[in-house]
Amino acid sequence: MKTSYLGKLINGIGLFLIVCIFVFPFVWMISTSFKTLGETLTFPPKWIPEQFIWENFAKAWNSGPFFKYFLNSLIVSVGILILQFLTIIPAAYAFARYKFAGSSLFFALTMITLMIPGQLIFLPVYLQMSSWGLLDTLWALILPFASSAFGIFMLRQSFMQIPEELLEAARFDEAPEWKIILKIMIPIAKPVLITFALFSFISHWNDYFWPLVMTTSDSARTLPLGISKLREVDGGIAWNVLMAGNMILVIPILIVFFFAQRQIIRAFVYTGVK
Amino acid sequence: MAEIILKNVSKVFNNEEVIKDLNLKIHDGSFTVLVGPSGCGKSTTLRMIAGLEKQSSGEIWIGDQLVNDTPPGKRNIAMVFQNYALYPTMTVKGNIEFGLINKKVPRHEREELIREISEIVGLTDYLNKKPQQLSGGQRQRVALARAMVKKPKVFILDEPLSNLDAKLRGQMRTELIQLHKRLGTTFVYVTHDQVEAMSMGDEIVILNKGEIQQKASPMTVYHDPNNIFTASFIGTPAMNIIDYRLMKDDLPALNGDVKYVGFRPENILISRTENTDPHSVHLFGEVVTRETLGSETIYTVKTNAGVIHCKSFIEPLDSVRHVRLQIPYEKLYFFNNQGERNRSVTIKRIEPVLVKGGR
Amino acid sequence: MAWHKLRPYAMIAPAIVIFCLFFIYPIGYMIYLSFHEWNFVSPDKQFVGMQNFASLFGEREFIEVMQNTFIYTALTVSLTIVISLLLALWLNNNGSVYSLVQGAVFSPHIISLVSVSMLWMWLMDTDYGLLNWFLNLFGLANVSWLTDPSTSLFSLVIVAVWKGIGFNTLIFIAGLQSIPRDMYEAAQLDESSKARTFWKLTLPMLSPTLFFLTIIGMINSFQVFETISIMTQGGPINSTNTFVYYIYEYGFRYFKIGYSSAAGVLLLFIVGLLTILYFKLLAKRVHYR
Repeated sequence: MKTSYLGKLINGIGLFLIVCIFVFPFVWMISTSFKTLGETLTFPPKWIPEQFIWENFAKAWNSGPFFKYFLNSLIVSVGILILQFLTIIPAAYAFARYKFAGSSLFFALTMITLMIPGQLIFLPVYLQMSSWGLLDTLWALILPFASSAFGIFMLRQSFMQIPEELLEAARFDEAPEWKIILKIMIPIAKPVLITFALFSFISHWNDYFWPLVMTTSDSARTLPLGISKLREVDGGIAWNVLMAGNMILVIPILIVFFFAQRQIIRAFVYTGVK
Repeated sequence: MAEIILKNVSKVFNNEEVIKDLNLKIHDGSFTVLVGPSGCGKSTTLRMIAGLEKQSSGEIWIGDQLVNDTPPGKRNIAMVFQNYALYPTMTVKGNIEFGLINKKVPRHEREELIREISEIVGLTDYLNKKPQQLSGGQRQRVALARAMVKKPKVFILDEPLSNLDAKLRGQMRTELIQLHKRLGTTFVYVTHDQVEAMSMGDEIVILNKGEIQQKASPMTVYHDPNNIFTASFIGTPAMNIIDYRLMKDDLPALNGDVKYVGFRPENILISRTENTDPHSVHLFGEVVTRETLGSETIYTVKTNAGVIHCKSFIEPLDSVRHVRLQIPYEKLYFFNNQGERNRSVTIKRIEPVLVKGGR
Repeated sequence: MAWHKLRPYAMIAPAIVIFCLFFIYPIGYMIYLSFHEWNFVSPDKQFVGMQNFASLFGEREFIEVMQNTFIYTALTVSLTIVISLLLALWLNNNGSVYSLVQGAVFSPHIISLVSVSMLWMWLMDTDYGLLNWFLNLFGLANVSWLTDPSTSLFSLVIVAVWKGIGFNTLIFIAGLQSIPRDMYEAAQLDESSKARTFWKLTLPMLSPTLFFLTIIGMINSFQVFETISIMTQGGPINSTNTFVYYIYEYGFRYFKIGYSSAAGVLLLFIVGLLTILYFKLLAKRVHYR
């Protein structure tokens, strides 16, 4: 079936337009971040700034304790990931390979939490944290996410697919249970673990809602919050500085995405296709 | 090197008794094959010997040790699995070494053992490869090496050849037999393939529905089956088992309780001529199908006694419809009502009467 | 021996404890609170039965909030699904150009919603935003995207759709690729037209994916918060006030904890219903291949 050149051309233009719709806002963001305030407030808009005003970035960065924000984001995302690994690996293994009374009950309980998003329970958890005195600390940002039903689900699937024979062979090799998990099961499940880690890290790095609810001061605030505060200025928003701040948030992820595109897409799509 | 004894062992799964009061003695140094149809309990028995399943009752002895409560790793047994069960994320060396490390064997001893085993099995060039990079036959060897390196008293093999293609299977069969001769360790081998059983075992244990049907050497099982099950399990095509009433007229009076008569396809003489040997059964029939396999031909013949399978090694009779089947009396097997072999029934050879004197 | 029996429980314990503490207990607590009146500061909580729920439905503001949320969800999910499906059909190709396009389409998904919100806030600026400049090119007048109550909700829909298309498209593509090729070949032999093949073969095979994305989309849309918090703060004139934002405001700003919890319980109820619906549909369709 010969596709006409015209057909191919139209297809190509269509694809280009699609890319534009999705990429152009970013391009515009980059452009704005280099402008002076005056340049941003012109209509019709100017595409390329006269000069590249790098100060915008400095202003954005200095608008608040950005280094602390960054550190907090890092500690929270990494802390969550570590705790998640520690809780989901034994749980997934137990659900996958042991028969014990109440296992289906507990598993059902785990799955139910999948349907309870943060936006639903933030108020009671806020009250909990308040009564424990953990409000406005990094603990409030980490502990509620210390485990992940999603991770348990994925890992359990993966563990269940490992043939029983393999474990029997290991028993002949006199391998203690912990060694079986560490040296055999986990290496086999490595792709799933990496996928999950990517998913978890990116989700929590980008989280705005939860830190907003749980923190009241700069000491525990994370990066997304810090950037959003750039809006709170008197006398109209300084779009150029705002976009510069936005760039700080966006560019690192875009760079990682560019290089690890396939893995990241696979990670997110895999989670959706279950 | 150890002998294995199962005393009154039974196993219950979901309220069903899959192994009933099994008593079995596997001789030290033998190559014993457990064979039978799917669900007969051979794998279960094997796994109970290995310690992967716990028997519901009874005792299992390995050597002079009662191993009822001993975990698999400590029974001095090594197992080769049907699907090899190699650790996919470790190299061949890692696979072989894993057990040794767990038993805290010192490093230089490990290296020596691995070197020795790889040479015997022919894996020296593959030590640093991962299982995915190996062929089926090579993976098989790694599984073997992993088992051998433990220097066990007993080798347990659970249908190790069923995943290999026919040619490789034949090759590995020979290698396993040679390995057994070389090591002298007791081999307990499970298969559903009776050809494998016959060709490899010193002793065959035929199981059906959790009970031992017969335990004997391959030739004994072939020539002297205990019951209908054993008789029809060994041999392809299976022995023809005919209801005695359908053959009564073709046979002389029998001195015993007979319900079924059996004879092997390869013992039937199939011909068109009128030659009648008085010490044989003669059946007449029509050829239904003919399978020419080159070295032998298998006929399905419809007779008054039922459909009979014959195996012939002479030139195939094409386009022949009506044939005479001749089975010598010595080649007949008699079975009673319960399917058991009635060895007391014999047909006396009718010697031609010599007239004394004569002019 | 005892350790053997205990071991599985010990292994699931950490996860289960976290879930009970931070998921099950809060739900229970929230339901409990919804029957009380409390302003967070004073130590006593007053039991008021169903009063909070009655008030909710009596408040015109809340009725509007429910309306907004339903409209927002309906628009977002339908637009996202339809556009994503069409895009998936178009981009279902493993060539490198298409991979690039897929990557571009997916990129908004991994950016934080905050960044997306701020970006679009800028794009939708009435006087200097790029969107209006674009409209002007076609001779259309400026639209006060975020400040006009009649367009504000729709503006948020646009943002959600822009961000959500990528994920949905890629999942649809994965779904399309899992349809066995020989089914299409059989259809070709049966001389099926392209449209017919799509409606009678492709779409039914995609239905589990479709249901999944629809339900997930609905559950997510019901919980919209970030864009509102950053771009419109519920306004103008309550036009973009939605469920979660309402709960947030009444809980954190007005300290009407009981009332806010009641709204939370209602949201829980709706989300629960949607989830059960999803599983029922899933069970019905799971064995048709």
